[in-house]
Order: sequence, then C-alpha cells, then structure tokens
Amino acid sequence: MDIFANLAHGFAVALSPINLLMCLIGALVGTLVGVLPGIGTIATVAMLLPITFGLPPVGALIMLAGIYYGAQYGGSTTSILVNIPGEATSVVTAIDGHQMAKQGRAGPALAIAAIGSFFAGCVATVLIAVLGAPLTKLALAFGPAEYFSLMVLGLIFAVVLAKGSVLKAIAMIVFGLLLSMVGSDIETGASRMAFNIPELADGLGFATVAMGVFGFAEIIRNLDHGAEMNRDLVQQKITGLMPTKKDLVDSTPPILRGTVLGSILGILPGGGAVIASFAAYTLEKKLAKNPSRFGRGAIEGVAAPESANNAAAQTSFIPLLTLGIPPNAVMALMVGAMTIHGIVPGPQVMQKQPDLVWGMIASMWIGNLMLIIINLPLVGIWVRLLRVPYRLMFPSIVIFCAIGIYSVNNAPVDVILAGVFGLVGYWLIKHDFEPAPLLLGMVLGPLMEENLRRALLISRGDWSVFLTRPLSAVLLAVAASLLILTVLPVLRAKRDEVFTESEN
Amino acid sequence: MAETMGHSATATRNTKVVIGFCLLAIAPQIFEFIWSIGTIFGWGAGRGPATVLISHATALVAGAPATLIGSASGETKKASSDVLLALIYSYPIFAVAIVTLFMTVRSAQDYVGGVILMALALFALWASSDLQGMRGFSFGAGTAPRMFGGLLVALSAGIALTGLLADGPGMSHYAWRGPMFVMAAILFFALAIRPLGLVVTAFASFMIAATGSHETRWLEAAIVGACLTLGCAILFPYVLGLPMPMFPRFLIQ
Repeated sequence: MDIFANLAHGFAVALSPINLLMCLIGALVGTLVGVLPGIGTIATVAMLLPITFGLPPVGALIMLAGIYYGAQYGGSTTSILVNIPGEATSVVTAIDGHQMAKQGRAGPALAIAAIGSFFAGCVATVLIAVLGAPLTKLALAFGPAEYFSLMVLGLIFAVVLAKGSVLKAIAMIVFGLLLSMVGSDIETGASRMAFNIPELADGLGFATVAMGVFGFAEIIRNLDHGAEMNRDLVQQKITGLMPTKKDLVDSTPPILRGTVLGSILGILPGGGAVIASFAAYTLEKKLAKNPSRFGRGAIEGVAAPESANNAAAQTSFIPLLTLGIPPNAVMALMVGAMTIHGIVPGPQVMQKQPDLVWGMIASMWIGNLMLIIINLPLVGIWVRLLRVPYRLMFPSIVIFCAIGIYSVNNAPVDVILAGVFGLVGYWLIKHDFEPAPLLLGMVLGPLMEENLRRALLISRGDWSVFLTRPLSAVLLAVAASLLILTVLPVLRAKRDEVFTESEN
Repeated sequence: MAETMGHSATATRNTKVVIGFCLLAIAPQIFEFIWSIGTIFGWGAGRGPATVLISHATALVAGAPATLIGSASGETKKASSDVLLALIYSYPIFAVAIVTLFMTVRSAQDYVGGVILMALALFALWASSDLQGMRGFSFGAGTAPRMFGGLLVALSAGIALTGLLADGPGMSHYAWRGPMFVMAAILFFALAIRPLGLVVTAFASFMIAATGSHETRWLEAAIVGACLTLGCAILFPYVLGLPMPMFPRFLIQ
C-alpha cells in the first residue's frame, strides 16, 4: 500500500535522533508553558517560533507540532487541577474535571484526559495519512469561488458553537475582518487604515493581537476585585493516579465518540479544537441517561472533550498541509513558520516535500506518545508549579509576553499595540463579546478578500458565480442552514442550557 | 416609591452615558490635539496644536454642514479629511447620543457595547474613505474595508437595539488599578528596551506590573523580579539566540 510506504518513510524521518529530540523538546516546553495559566497555545507557539528559525525546516515544524500538542495537554492539566483553563480548548474540561478534583479524583481525571488524548491522537494520525492524499485532489477542484464559500462556512461555524449571543459573535467576526484589512492592499499596494505608521504597513501582527486580546486582557481581568476567589488553588495532594475499572468502562464510548467528532470538526476550517470540545460535551450530555450528573464530576465530561480536542488538533493539520488554509489561530502561525522556511503551504507541498509532510505526520504519533510519558509521572511537579501565587505569576507573565512580542520583529511599537489590544480585550470581556471569533475573522480576512476579488474578476463581476458553481453552492447552503439552525430559538435554548453551566 | 427611585437612577445613568458618547464622538479629534502638542517640542511630525484645534472646530461647526448642503444642491466639491471625519464619524455618534437621552436603556452592557463598536466601525469607514472604490467589476483597495465597515455598523446597531429592547445585565465594574499598572509596565518596556537594555527594563517593568495588585509583597516581588530578570537575560539572548540589547547604552559606550 502506498499509504503505508509513505508512513514508513515518515517514521524513518521522524525517528532520526535529531528529530526525535526536537519532538521531545517541543512537547516538554509546550506542556510546561501550557500549564501556566494565562499563556495559551497561541502565545506559546508565537513565543517559541523564533527558536525554530535556526533549525532545518523538517525539524522546526516537528518541534512546533510538539509544542502545539504539549500546550493542548498542559491546558487541560491546569483546568482539572485549579479550574484555570490554560487556553480555550480546555474550558469544557474544567467543568467536570475540576469537580472531580474537588472530590479527590484528580488522578483519574488527569489519567483519563491523557489516555483519551493519546487514543484520539493515534486515530487522527491514521486519518491524516489516509485522507491527506484524497483531500489534496479535492483541493485542486477548489477555485476562488469555492474558497470564498469555504471561508464563509468556517466563519459561520465559529458562530454556531460560540457561547452567548449570535449577533455579537458575528459582529466580532466582522470586526476581525476589518482589523485584517489594516496595512498594504495585496493587489494595489495602497496603504489602508495605517495612519502613516510604518510598523502598520505590513498589517497588524496576528501574534500581537492574540497576545493582547487573550493574554494581557486575561491578566488585567484577573486583577479585578473579587477575581481572587476564582484562583484559589487546590492544595491537597493527588492520591490514586489510576482510574478504576468502572471509570475505564464508562469513558470508553465517550472517547470513541469524541474522537470521531473531533476528527471531523478539525478538518473544517474554522471548526478547530475549541468547537470540537464544546460539541463533544454537548453530545455526551444529550446521550447520557442521567444528564444532571454533568457539571458535578462526570468522567464522560472529561473523556469526550479531551479526546475531541486532541483529535481536532491533529486533523486540523489536514487543511493546512493540503489546502494551505490555516483552520485556526495556531495553524496560521504554522503557515508563518513554513513561509519563513521557504515552504508555500498548499496542494504542491505533498509532492514537493514528502519528507516534511510524512515526517510531520509520523512525529504527531510520536509526540502523543511522548506526551503520555511526560505527563502521567510529572503531574506532581505541575501541581507544585501552580502553587506559585498569582501576585508573582502575573508580572512574570507580563514580562514574558512583552519580551516575546518584542522579539518577533524587534519592534517596540508591537509591544505597545499588544498593550492597546489588551485594553480592547478587557473591554470586550466587560461587554460579553468573545475574542475567539475576532481572531478567526482576522486570520481568514485576507484569504477571504483575495478569493472574493479573484472570483468576481474571473466571473466579470457576476455575483451569481458563488451559487452556480455546485461545490460553492453546497458550501454556502450548509453555511446558511447552520446559521438558520442557530438562530432558531429551540436550539438556542438548548445551547444556553449547556453554556450557562460552563460559566459556573 | 421604589419605582420612582429606580427611574431617577436610570435617568442619572443615562446622562452619564450621553456625556460619554459625546466625548466618544470627538475622541479622534481630542487624540490628535494631544498628539500635536508634542510637535511643539519637536517630537514627531504633523500639524501644530493651534492648526489642529482651528481646523477641527471649523470642520465640526461649519465645514460639514456646508458640505452637506452643497452635496444636496448637486455640488461635487472634494471635502477635506477633517470635514469627512466630522461627517462620517462625529455626527452619527452625536445623533446616537441625542437619541439616548430619550430612551430607557434596558441592558447597558449591550447598548454601550454596541454603540462603541459602531464608533469603531464608523472610524474604519472614515479611515478607508480616501481609498479607491470599485473600478468596473474589479475591487479597489477601499471596497472591502467599506463593505465590512458598513456591515459592522449595521450589526453593532442591532446589538445596541437589543440593549434597548431586551432586559440584560448592566455595565460591569471596571477596575482601574490593574489595567493602569499593567499598561504602564508594557509602555515602559516598549520605550525602554532599546535605550536601557533587557536587564534594567525587565526588572523595572516587573516591579511596575506588580504594583497593579494589592496583594503584592515588596521584598518578595523584588527577589522574584531579580531572579526572573536573570533567567530572561540568560534564556532569551543566549539559549534562544535572540538579538537583544542587554545593558543601558550609556554604560557600554
């Protein structure tokens, strides 16, 4: 079989000692940083991106992939132990995971999270290997009109499963699209909304905005009065690391369902790991015989979203490797890393850089294995790290973030911009706007505009091209029906039911 | 009794909101004025404070209405950027502020949020107003920003409307200490990293940021700050190989 020959080739690349070391370092650093509350996957990848500049392309991307998984898993560790989600994907895990920890069952919760992630990772690795090539062929059938419709679908998908008001989520996406327009126009080179500030000529840096809206805003909010209560730490020692037989039996079906759901949602641009975890939790709650257990320490509420977000984290590499579309914020940083190494993501990567693609796929599996090896025995150390009081933690995070942003371009203006976006993020939180759709809009904005322009140019200004091309029409129809389904009050009431609990 | 008290409370709240919106309506003008003060001392380029003040005042009071009347009578004279700012940005916000006076705001969180977002969208519309529009069926540089800007105006108006129609949470409390000191630390870092180098800047920024919390213990913060600075001084330039000035420039020379 071709696939297995390719996979074997991949493992040969990934198992070379230097790449194995890259993978290990990446996973370790990623977990370490992911465990820190306030520094999420995006910030981690953005901060550690410069380390990979000096490495060969394959090693650099393998390392970045390791960082990504590490940060994902580190985030769930914090949410289970202290109810601080290190990043967005582990918000759901915190609901039941932290309840389990309060009942003294932090061990089983952490173990199930690790086992679920590992299983999901294994399945998703095979999926990437099998689906990667066919999807590349599909990618070639995509013209500008289809790409545009795909972007619309991705953005709508972010709306459907975002918590809170649909109108606000859409407004945030459009705000993100507007922010992405800052800087030089791709076609005419005209400077747009840059106010003669030279640093803005290239547009707003994605890392700058992300670090401001997520990192700084979160720190500022945590300093509010009354927020202290949310960060009191679980001091008790974790006893009994391994789950019981009943736990394993209970969590097997949720892991399977979460893996399937996560793999599917991960492939869709705009879906990504965040939505996968929310969707998996919703599904488990709907299928459960006794839904009232959820939110009170149900192990299914840990197993399903953890497997889903890991599966999605993995399959979200498929659109990146085959279509060249970054499906989420971290993937957008990966595109940045690829272009720095002179690799243009897109359909031709598979043929031109087999070492890179298959090496990375194989290293995903190895990365997952390393995560389980690193994390299970080291839980005690992570807990000790979290005992650092917040009064010392937050200035350190500010400094790390400032140095991180400065080092990307050696531009002090970037640091100030990140600070300004920190205030914007604080304002967004106060008015119950969500920053995640904003970032997604910012990532997809340039791609969307480019393809819209191109499609209309080819069709000679005929807007019906988006409906007459079958694939594009289908994508738009799916997007429209998704939006209608969300706006329907019945579904909305159900969404609220799920999400009011996630806020408690 | 209770009802009248509730009414007077919303009334005072409304005036506060209206004053806030009026300030928001001329915020860019105020910002440019403050910025222009710097030109007296020779920092940065741009118009002087007197020019800025006169130009914006005439635009707000006379220029924009004149252009409006002119365009109504079919005259097509190119309006200056200041007049456009008054027309596209300030006037609509003033209009919203006046409307607010006569409204009962049922969810301040949504209403104020929506209006501020609308202000951002209007500002973006003004900022892209000098860009080229559609040329035949081909997009100009300004087409997409204006399209999304217009869409955002509509969406944020919708959000503000829900704030008037449906009950919801009021304004949340804004703290000032945390944001101020964290911002000060960031600002200090940005301004000082080049002249003063990593060692001084990181430690000073750490201490400024630490001031933002009332839980801070000074000796402890100083020790941790020093250790962190040392760690950063080793980690970033040496381990990660990032080019970064380490010590103040005047010490090295």
